[in-house]
Amino acid sequence: MALLIKTHFKLAKTAIKENRTRSFLTCLGIAIGVASIILILSLMGSISNLVKNEINEIGSDLIVVRPSSTKDSVTSIVEELTSSNTFQKSNLSISDVSAIADLEDVAAAAPISVSVNTIASEKNTFSSVPILGTNDDFIKIEPVTFKFGSFLNKANNDKTVVLGSTLSLALFNTINSTVGKTVTIMGEKYMIIGVLDEIEKSINFDNIDLDNALIIDIENLDKLTGSTQIQQINIKASNTDSLAKVSTEIREKLVSEKHGDENFTVSYGDEITHPASSLFTVVSGMLTVVAAISLVVGGIGVMNIMLVSVAERNHEIGIRKAVGASSRNILMQFLFEALILSILGGIFGLVLGYILAFLLSIITPFAPHISIEIILITLLTTFVVGIIFGIYPALKAAAKNPIESLKHYR
Amino acid sequence: MSKDYYLVLSAKYRNNMGENTLIELKGLTKRYGYGDTESFALKDFDLTIKRGEFIMIMGPSGCGKTTLLNIIGLLDRATSGEYILNGEDVAGISARRQAKLRAKKIGFIFQNFNLIEDLPILENVALPLVYTGYSKTARLKNASNALKRFHLQEREYYFPYQLSGGQQQRVAIARAIVGDPEIILADEPTGNLDSRSSHIVMEELKAIHEEGNTIIMVTHNPALTVYATRVINMLDGHIDTDVKTVADANLPQPISVKIKKRQKPETKIELPKEEEKKKTKKHKKSRRKK
Repeated sequence: MALLIKTHFKLAKTAIKENRTRSFLTCLGIAIGVASIILILSLMGSISNLVKNEINEIGSDLIVVRPSSTKDSVTSIVEELTSSNTFQKSNLSISDVSAIADLEDVAAAAPISVSVNTIASEKNTFSSVPILGTNDDFIKIEPVTFKFGSFLNKANNDKTVVLGSTLSLALFNTINSTVGKTVTIMGEKYMIIGVLDEIEKSINFDNIDLDNALIIDIENLDKLTGSTQIQQINIKASNTDSLAKVSTEIREKLVSEKHGDENFTVSYGDEITHPASSLFTVVSGMLTVVAAISLVVGGIGVMNIMLVSVAERNHEIGIRKAVGASSRNILMQFLFEALILSILGGIFGLVLGYILAFLLSIITPFAPHISIEIILITLLTTFVVGIIFGIYPALKAAAKNPIESLKHYR
Repeated sequence: MSKDYYLVLSAKYRNNMGENTLIELKGLTKRYGYGDTESFALKDFDLTIKRGEFIMIMGPSGCGKTTLLNIIGLLDRATSGEYILNGEDVAGISARRQAKLRAKKIGFIFQNFNLIEDLPILENVALPLVYTGYSKTARLKNASNALKRFHLQEREYYFPYQLSGGQQQRVAIARAIVGDPEIILADEPTGNLDSRSSHIVMEELKAIHEEGNTIIMVTHNPALTVYATRVINMLDGHIDTDVKTVADANLPQPISVKIKKRQKPETKIELPKEEEKKKTKKHKKSRRKK
């Protein structure tokens, strides 16, 4: 048996070598599918790595409460993609935040409410500026530093805002301090009391680009807009030993606050790294589907070429059967050829995908994420593709009647 | 040398065995089509073949010669009837067992040679050994020995299209005997060859037969029957005449003397007569000792 496998391998190698161009093009089909999957997986991996690193910086005492969608995921996805407001509808309220903050093991609880609005300074007007509504606990949880001024607190939070560094620059065309100047939101004037340092992390677990954001006290925001959506509550636990226990406490507290409705999730540790926006998940999921389709197309290419090969070698099949090859021998011979074609394509695609990911990393903040799992999964996938698309031509070859095949000579 | 010697010995051993029957066909029927289109390639066909026979099957086209050969070669199945090969009923065995028997016990020679164009002739000859579990070195060694016998050792790495028809057919014969089969089936092996090449091929087959191999050959050429120990004429799926030119007890009997007399003008070719004679002598000796 081992001898036969070696022979099949050699035969497949010869057959592939003999039709070099054809085999290369077939491999390319598989390679493109694999490369796009690798590209997407490595980018997704790099994004969750970015978030993971951030959480490591913040510390291990972070707990996050997020609303969970009550609708089924497909409708909410479609809704998110079609509506201009890409932020999730939430059922967390400001009173929930204060309820959590009152818990014994909780050191700080900051709501994250992101909306978009038009902001004007004396010089410029920007529409679609992300506005982060939060409270003074925010800086206790996240390590932001200030270029100028300070953060909001209970004493000064009336009609005041803090700006991200890029936003400050854009609004006032100056890198100098803008503390003390005013911006207008929905006709109301607000005084700037602080400007953040540059953070240069557009991806984080809050799902907000702080460099471009305007930070305002959440109660002020509530008064201004009339309704506030809280996308997330960040919680710092005082007792870091048992985050599980603290998160259970939070869950129980929230459930009692909401009279039994459990339409939220409490997560800590690595769970947080799941990209905050489901939009991101949806987009990458769709890309993966497209990539998988191209892999299927590649597989069809393999099947096509194998069918041609079987037809071309009809005579050879007849001869082999006449000298003693069983149908199984013939099946294995052609299956091996299909497998080698698709695995070669897989290896080729692996290299191509990582090269593309590295090229992409030059122009974006993503760092390609290479893991042995991705490589193994890819090779396994191409193996499965090879079997699925190789089995039909191989069965066809094995089922040939030797007498008929021997008549077909060139 | 060693290979040839082994063949001679094995032939001797075979002939010493009490039961000399190799193939028994009883009431073999092969039907094509049903109802109105029903036709029989073979009808109630009975045949017993002894070890060491060189059988020529003749008859008009469509009389079932090739069907018979395909059934004996386990490439085809009879609609009904018994086929006993070496004392084993093989009519109803699985396709896999059939393939195994094909690999071990049967060698095919075809009219159109049927060599794989993409493989050098050495690998073509080694092909049956692929399916009987030889290692690659053993395969190529055996194949090389077989080719040497047919004076093609310098062309081991030629491809079939680089050889003449006669040479290709000799390669095909080498492939048929490389696994030391019990029966060699030849379907008009000289049909595509000129008379000179035909003659060489027939001489090779004769030499193989003299080593004790059983050969069943289909032909249209009555001139070739001089090589046979038994000539069967077929008509419409049954045996018309069945003539044994050599008694069963004398199988396999060298008949080279007679043939040389008859075919005097043709034999002045590259045939290595000395070697041929030596073999014959050795064979005779070994028989006499017994």
